[in-house]
Amino acid sequence: MKKLITLTVNDSAYEVAVAPNRTLTQLLRDDLNLLGTKEGCGVGDCGACTVIMDGKPVNSCLVLAVQADGSDITTIEGVATSAGLHPVQQTFVGMGAIQCGFCTPGMVLSATRLLEKNPHPTEHEVRQALSGNLCRCTGYQKIVEAVQEASRRMKK
Amino acid sequence: MLLLPKFDYEEPKSMREALAMLSELKENAKVIAGGTDLLVNMKKGTVKPTRLVSLKKIGGLREIAREDAGLSIGSHATISEIADSALVASLFPVLARSASCLGSPLIRNRATIGGNIVTARPAADLPPALMVLGAEVQLKGKGKGRTVSLDSFFTGPGSSVMKAGEVLTKISIPPVPSFTGGDYIKLGHRAALEIAIVAVASRLTLDRPDGVIVDARIVLSSVAPTAVHAPLAEKALTGQRPSEELFARAASIAATECSPITDMRGGANYRCDMVGILTRRTLLKAFHDALGMKEGGA
Ligand SMILES: Cc1cc2nc3c(=O)[nH]c(=O)nc-3n(C[C@H](O)[C@H](O)[C@H](O)COP(=O)(O)OP(=O)(O)OC[C@H]3O[C@@H](n4cnc5c(N)ncnc54)[C@H](O)[C@@H]3O)c2cc1C
Ligand code: FES
Ligand code: FES
Repeated sequence: MKKLITLTVNDSAYEVAVAPNRTLTQLLRDDLNLLGTKEGCGVGDCGACTVIMDGKPVNSCLVLAVQADGSDITTIEGVATSAGLHPVQQTFVGMGAIQCGFCTPGMVLSATRLLEKNPHPTEHEVRQALSGNLCRCTGYQKIVEAVQEASRRMKK
Repeated sequence: MLLLPKFDYEEPKSMREALAMLSELKENAKVIAGGTDLLVNMKKGTVKPTRLVSLKKIGGLREIAREDAGLSIGSHATISEIADSALVASLFPVLARSASCLGSPLIRNRATIGGNIVTARPAADLPPALMVLGAEVQLKGKGKGRTVSLDSFFTGPGSSVMKAGEVLTKISIPPVPSFTGGDYIKLGHRAALEIAIVAVASRLTLDRPDGVIVDARIVLSSVAPTAVHAPLAEKALTGQRPSEELFARAASIAATECSPITDMRGGANYRCDMVGILTRRTLLKAFHDALGMKEGGA
């Protein structure tokens, strides 16, 4: 039987009827048409499905939509503002941290959350914060450099 | 894409209601906590519950609080809450260390300590640290509750003394004696998203800084059907004056007290060798921490 849930996604409130066996990834992509969140492995290994749930980055493929009842979700669509791209997005674009782009939404969300908690992370801290997000293209180096550069730009 | 089979989902508002829902369907009903183990198994089709019961509306299950001079941790505290807790870090750094090596930051934000114990995986990260700390778990069933030492909780890979319909509500850790130190080392191919090839937790208590070892605990993980103590190595340390030679001797005894399998993560012989190495290293660190500390903390 479907359950009625309410949640906030990128500052908009939603009320959705959803079957218990649907994941948060499916709710976001299929019901809310927010296609920025990707599904890679579906079992917690790759981080392509990363969203921020109540302030913390999580694997949305391992969260039931019904478990997200009452929660506050940010997806990659909620990161840029009317003022433009987030500094992390700007440095990803500018510094070659994106190749195929499949890991990018998850990487950007994990990175923005890191910089909120720890505005001046060391390289090691950046690598640790992104360790649940796999990238098959870039070799990580440019991603790490982009996060560090974003941190420097945000300081100013 | 891996899809989940159909099931009912309930969010009872009291423990009483939850226990009734669970006992009604026996094996077909399961608690869902963080879901990081359960949902993977359901997607792969290895478990097929018809009802999931979430305890998120029941208060008090997430608390990390002082209890007597020790600590009580609610079963639904997440691994990141434990890894980041100042209280855990100051009282039981060995537990904080084991929590910070579990999975990835994303997994740690959902995974719970209760789920990590109940799954009873031979390579689970928290049980070895909790066992050297002498932790007990509280189980609630319909009508009755019981307290079980973690040392006698696990019965095999994926199995424990828990009965269908029971809920793990709380983990209690007794206070740490003076001059005590501990360590946990997990050996994996990678630094994150890795199941241990071998892991070892140790704890030493001295009677005074330049004295003898009065209590030694060594728990080996990933090298037997459950996490196991190395009782002969523990005995070889007890009553002795700490030295590198003593730790080396205890480590080589510990390497004989496991029964690892050969699988894609490592061969049985390699695993035994690594038990020796990690045991020695954890003992050295435990000893140094015990020296540096007057009261509390392991
Ligand atoms: C990508 C990935 C990496 C991982 N890496 C590691 C790792 O490095 N180390 C490690 O130890 N584990 C790892 N795990 C396994 C898992 O994340 C942990 O075991 C986690 O702690 C499980 O907790 P949970 O809250 O998600 O449990 P759930 O999935 O919610 O539940 C697991 C089982 O326990 C039962 N259960 C849960 N809580 C209770 C309770 N309070 N009372 C009764 N029954 C209960 C459920 O019914 C279910 O059968 C990993 C998992 C994934 C997907
Ligand atoms: S799709 Fe969720 S972690 Fe891979
Ligand atoms: S850019 Fe292709 S997976 Fe990271």
